[in-house]
Amino acid sequence: MAMPAVAWQIVFFYIPLLIVFLYSVVNISSGVLHLTLAHYAYFMQPLFLKIMGKSLMLALVTAIMCLLLAYPIAYCLAVRITHYKNIFLFFLILPFWTSLMVQVYSWFFILEHNGLINSILMKLRLISTPLHLLNTPFAVYLVMVYCYLPFMIMPLYSALEKIDKRMFEASADLGASQWQTFKNITLPLSMPGIQTGFFLVFVPSFGEFVVPTLLGGGKQLYVGSLITQYFLAARDVHLGSAFTILSGLVLLAAVGILYWYFNGSKSKTAKGERA
Amino acid sequence: MIRAKNLLLSYLLPFLALCGFLFLYIPIIVLVLFSFNSSDIPFVWEGFSLKWYYALWQSSDIWQALQNSLIVAFSSVCLSLIMGILFVFYGARTILGKFFIMFYASLATPEIVLAVGLLSLLSFFSVPLGLPALIAGHTLIGLGYVVPIISARYQELDKRYLEAALDLGASEGLALRKVMVPLLMPALLASALLVFVLSLDDFIISFFCSGGTTQTLPIYIFVMIRAGASPVVNALSTMLLVISSFLVLLFSSLKIKKTDLLQ
Repeated sequence: MAMPAVAWQIVFFYIPLLIVFLYSVVNISSGVLHLTLAHYAYFMQPLFLKIMGKSLMLALVTAIMCLLLAYPIAYCLAVRITHYKNIFLFFLILPFWTSLMVQVYSWFFILEHNGLINSILMKLRLISTPLHLLNTPFAVYLVMVYCYLPFMIMPLYSALEKIDKRMFEASADLGASQWQTFKNITLPLSMPGIQTGFFLVFVPSFGEFVVPTLLGGGKQLYVGSLITQYFLAARDVHLGSAFTILSGLVLLAAVGILYWYFNGSKSKTAKGERA
Repeated sequence: MIRAKNLLLSYLLPFLALCGFLFLYIPIIVLVLFSFNSSDIPFVWEGFSLKWYYALWQSSDIWQALQNSLIVAFSSVCLSLIMGILFVFYGARTILGKFFIMFYASLATPEIVLAVGLLSLLSFFSVPLGLPALIAGHTLIGLGYVVPIISARYQELDKRYLEAALDLGASEGLALRKVMVPLLMPALLASALLVFVLSLDDFIISFFCSGGTTQTLPIYIFVMIRAGASPVVNALSTMLLVISSFLVLLFSSLKIKKTDLLQ
């Protein structure tokens, strides 16, 4: 009776992955099937490595910017606000449940050639020709941060909420300034939240294609948009599969490095404190 | 000096938080505001008007997209809930329960990989794309949320209720229906809501697996964005926002009930 769920998972997740892998190592030439690594070799060019690098950079910068923006929000909500917490929470969860498309469209509306920003600036006669805001890396990064911000806020808020507030009192009693309290108590204790949020933003951002495609114009090529092109435009399953798997491996490696960065340094500070 | 620093932090932090909050909400507010714009040019405010909502009402494309989205969403919720409950209830006691870590893998992979996989699967077996493909994909995602949520709640339950039911002569199926499901209700409702919203808002899997002809709401908006901004999309987005807010309210009220139960 428990089988349906497991079967579903296998049929629609694990088998497809296998099929993708098979597509990537197989070549049908003149009706004969044979194994080949030619598809992977095709991607060992600087162009594709640059695309993967761009995506990694996008994911990293988005995650960092989200962290910087989310921390004050999560902190104030978890620590400072005592009254009306539920109302604030409601407003915090709402963007999380807003459709990605709606979010993208709202920025599209604001940044467009004769969109909101430009019309306001033109009316105030601050500029004479409209600013070129869409189809730039700026637009892409801005909207990426906007869309993934809720994913960073939630884990941070969760982690900060769990901190015993008496720690702050104790720290102040022992003479620490607010900054010292933050650096030595709040920050380390919120680390699990920072880590979770960071990965929640980093992993999807790497494969994102909606935001770069709609707000970056055709010129901004990232991993997601390239995969989409291979499968939906060029319909080349072999190259597409190979690139997907390659990007997947790159993502895994990046996540591994980040994980080591977060947890390697954690054990260092623990050792330092004990010493 | 320390006083000044403390003061700075006291005001700086809330200020930054406020900026962040504004950053989150200003685009949405602008979007909603301009859906009531009476001007044909989307960005120049002329007056208050509901004409774009009328246009929305009359657009058959949007109704079709809405219908598709709802069909897929409801089906995915039903399928993932049923399969999820069955798995947690029957699987927890057997060796299959150990396999539940396999449900986390689909959560951890970027959605585009899931979409690519589904597309490859379907084209490999020459299955036509369309709504069933979407339902399959959304159910997959749904399972990834349903199984952990329900299983967590299940672990917290007092198993003696189940034993009592079985002792009193109920079959496993009856025990499941009459005892477990009511006890698990908050978790069931919460995950149902979550999967519903995820399915409704899903773009990537829908985009890959819908084929050329079927459209869900997010795909419709995507196509409209490509064609340039239009106030009808503002109206549509506002409606989606209203629905999301309503669902969040429902979800939040569920949380309150959950803590009541624990007390």
